Amino acid sequence: MMGNHAVSWGAGLARAEVISAYPITPQTQVVEELSEMCADGRLDARFIKVESEHSAMAACIGASAAGARAFTATSSQGLALMHEMLHWAANGRHPVVMADINRAMGPGWNIWTDQTDSLSQRDTGWVQLYCETNQEVLDTTVMAFQLAETLDLPVMLVLDAFYLSHTSEPVDIPDQEAVDAFLPRRKARYQLDVNDPHSFGALVRPDAYMEMRFQLQEAMGRAEAVWGEVEADWARRFGRRYGAVEGYRLDDAALVLVTSGTITSTARFVVDRLREGGEAVGLVKVKMFRPFPARSLRGLLGGAERVAVLDRNLSPGRGGIFAEELKAALYAGDGFPRPDVYGYVVGLGGRDVTPEVIEGIVKRTWQASGPEREDLWVGLNL
Amino acid sequence: MPETAGRVTPMAVSQTSTLVSRTGSWKYIRPVYQDRLAPCIEACPVGIDIEGYLNLLREGRVEAACDLLLRENPMPAVTGRVCHHPCETGCNRCQLDEGVAIHAIERALGDLILETTPAPVFPAAPASVGVVGSGPAGLACAYHVARLGYHVTIFEAASEPGGMLRLGIPEYRLPRRVLDRQIDWIIAQGVTIECNSRVGEDIPWWSFLSSFDAAFLSTGAHQSKALGAPGEKLGGVESGLAFLRRTNAGERPSVGQRVVVVGGGNTAMDCARTALRLGAEVTVLYRRTRAEMPAIGEEVDEAEREGVQFVFLAAPIRLVSANGRVNAIECQRMRLGDPDASGRRAPVPIPNDRFTQPADTVLSAIGETAELDILPPEIGRQGGSVLTDEYGGTSRAAVFAGGDLADQPRTVADALGAGKRAAIGIDQYLRMIMGRPLEGPPTAELRYGKTGNLSMTRWRRDDPVSRTAPVNDVVRYEELNPRHFTREPRRRDGRLGVLESRGGFGEVNLGLSRDQALEEAQRCFNCGVCNRCDVCLTFCPDVAIRHADGGYAVAMDYCKGCGVCAEECPRGALVMTREGL
Repeated sequence: MMGNHAVSWGAGLARAEVISAYPITPQTQVVEELSEMCADGRLDARFIKVESEHSAMAACIGASAAGARAFTATSSQGLALMHEMLHWAANGRHPVVMADINRAMGPGWNIWTDQTDSLSQRDTGWVQLYCETNQEVLDTTVMAFQLAETLDLPVMLVLDAFYLSHTSEPVDIPDQEAVDAFLPRRKARYQLDVNDPHSFGALVRPDAYMEMRFQLQEAMGRAEAVWGEVEADWARRFGRRYGAVEGYRLDDAALVLVTSGTITSTARFVVDRLREGGEAVGLVKVKMFRPFPARSLRGLLGGAERVAVLDRNLSPGRGGIFAEELKAALYAGDGFPRPDVYGYVVGLGGRDVTPEVIEGIVKRTWQASGPEREDLWVGLNL
Repeated sequence: MPETAGRVTPMAVSQTSTLVSRTGSWKYIRPVYQDRLAPCIEACPVGIDIEGYLNLLREGRVEAACDLLLRENPMPAVTGRVCHHPCETGCNRCQLDEGVAIHAIERALGDLILETTPAPVFPAAPASVGVVGSGPAGLACAYHVARLGYHVTIFEAASEPGGMLRLGIPEYRLPRRVLDRQIDWIIAQGVTIECNSRVGEDIPWWSFLSSFDAAFLSTGAHQSKALGAPGEKLGGVESGLAFLRRTNAGERPSVGQRVVVVGGGNTAMDCARTALRLGAEVTVLYRRTRAEMPAIGEEVDEAEREGVQFVFLAAPIRLVSANGRVNAIECQRMRLGDPDASGRRAPVPIPNDRFTQPADTVLSAIGETAELDILPPEIGRQGGSVLTDEYGGTSRAAVFAGGDLADQPRTVADALGAGKRAAIGIDQYLRMIMGRPLEGPPTAELRYGKTGNLSMTRWRRDDPVSRTAPVNDVVRYEELNPRHFTREPRRRDGRLGVLESRGGFGEVNLGLSRDQALEEAQRCFNCGVCNRCDVCLTFCPDVAIRHADGGYAVAMDYCKGCGVCAEECPRGALVMTREGL
């Protein structure tokens, strides 16, 4: 099935109770499929039609505050439109789950895959999980609810536009009963109750606000470990596991590629091919971007001399965002070795990142004496 | 506020309940549930709680809906076929999409009642009422009087009861069997009808008046106005009513090939469509235009659909003959001048502009007059009508009158309304003479709105519908919130095809099925009356509205008087008021 439908099936199996979304290419099929599931009774959820993504997130927050399991999906401009509400969901500790189909921000108007949309929201307090395959998408969607409700944090699962959203891949669909055993009905810690009214989200003065933020940070600090537990449970039941980060052929790798999303599967192919040619190349896939798995990444990259980060995104005035976050993580002064980090900006606006492009990046990285810039752009036709 | 992290909740949720904050003290206005009147009720000349029975239908309470209808209207199977339904014109829904098909729903209920509802019988009090004339006014008066518990007898000059319903309205609009069953049903409630009994001839007035404690005169208006044109006495020229009397009794006279009907009212349309069924080409001649025609709009539409031709702005000057029989009408062309007493623009002849309309038969239907000479002389009259007060009282004590005989619009609905008003007047009078006077509500409270008819239910003070702080003012469309209603087309009556319609006297309008009628009732806005839709409860930002006692209660300690509930109420059943704060 296509990646978008894998999201729908994930949300359906997780028994989402309130779904509120606004259509945007390339997310539309997620919501179409969910609305059909609601219409023909396969999914017992309340579907709220809204006029904008901002309202969609507001509706999800309201529903979540009332104790319901809430879900939405969006992309690009839509995600940007709900920015204010993203802060609200996280600061309010509402465990909303959202799928973001990574799509470029306009202008120029571009519907193809690019990670700048989700990464622009990295400061809002949402957990971010990136996916490489449609199976991973379905699995991550269900697990996201477990993670969100354990931490009382909203979780965003992210998949590439078209490469995953509209491409059909084989997906194993777990039984509903098995998913119910993994993910029972939500039991909210605090919820709106008209019979016992309290004020939600009201004024907090300087004498308590920092403590609330500290608790939020503390919850984020537990996220990687909780994700590990959630995945361990999933692996026991369904035999699949992804990790917050994954190392691939890292033994004796002198040069390690760092990727996320579908570029990862191309990179695996390139690593295998280069290894056959005798190159000591490895790969690290980053699945969890928020919280940034600094310690795990330091552990995986410790043995490398050179690290080539492929960023299908851009923070203008800075460069690729994964590269930036990785460099900051490596700088944490706890005695870990610091390989040279080469940041490559690739594939913006859906430009294809082929094995040849990645091989070119590896060759370039071997040959350079050091990273001459913060960001090296690949494949420009200027 | 807490000072250490240990005592701060991770979520921004207040640790105490917000019940301690009594925001009700902020308000300067407050919401009040107030049942008000729907415009259809005020528009109805019979005075039926239309919104009330449509609401009962919406709730699936069909029997209760029929009961409410029958409290005011003795013959819904008839009115549901022949009424000019001003309720539909006044319906607020017209301003959203299309008005509710009240007429067709009433017909469906009327037919249902005849099939399933046994005629109730009422305990009789020691007083009796005599009614002259069994048209709709007389039947209505007798019906209500019997339900109020009096003996009542109707005296009918003709051989069968019904008055204009039988004599004037053709079968294809009102089938005989429906009329007969409806009248039988009224009789079964304790009404006696003596046919072939002309009061004033067979029975002297003094005998009639002394036999009863009170009387109601409803002899109607059956005398056709003369055309006033030379040749009126020629063969082939007949008053429309006389023609209909014959055809409605089953006669199928030969009318030749070309029939001209003069007039623009319902009688003219009935004549035209009947003549068509007798095989003629029919032309209606009317001195004004279609917009001024007094006939019910659908009747004119049907006539057109069936092939009746219309010549407007023309009036007959002279009837031309060959061999003692009319064969043409010389006509004067007219134009519309200034408005006359009826409020319509008057026809003004255009000098020297004439034409000839061929005709084998001419039927004149330009209005009727009441025969007042047959009445006792002491009954006051003016300008061709009996003088009556608002309860039908005449200049003679104990004698009431109504219908086409009195000065009121000449429709079935107005006649039914007059019969009911007189029944209330008669009840007041009889209680007084029996020594049990009733201090009833003042007339303004009995009346629906400012211009509606009186309510028998209000007179009897046994309203089966529970109302919240009812007031008698009418809700306008501007006071509704139409955003809560989705557009939905009005259900259309089934009808016979044109050829089948013209080919006989079978009922043309087949109405709505019961299911369609129930669905159509859902389109009613229930203007002004709370129907428990929960919009106020859902929208209150303070969650201050709850279900209570079958309705709603507002927690005044918390209601801030924001007015969102009143603004959102789809039907204007909630008003904001300063009183009692």
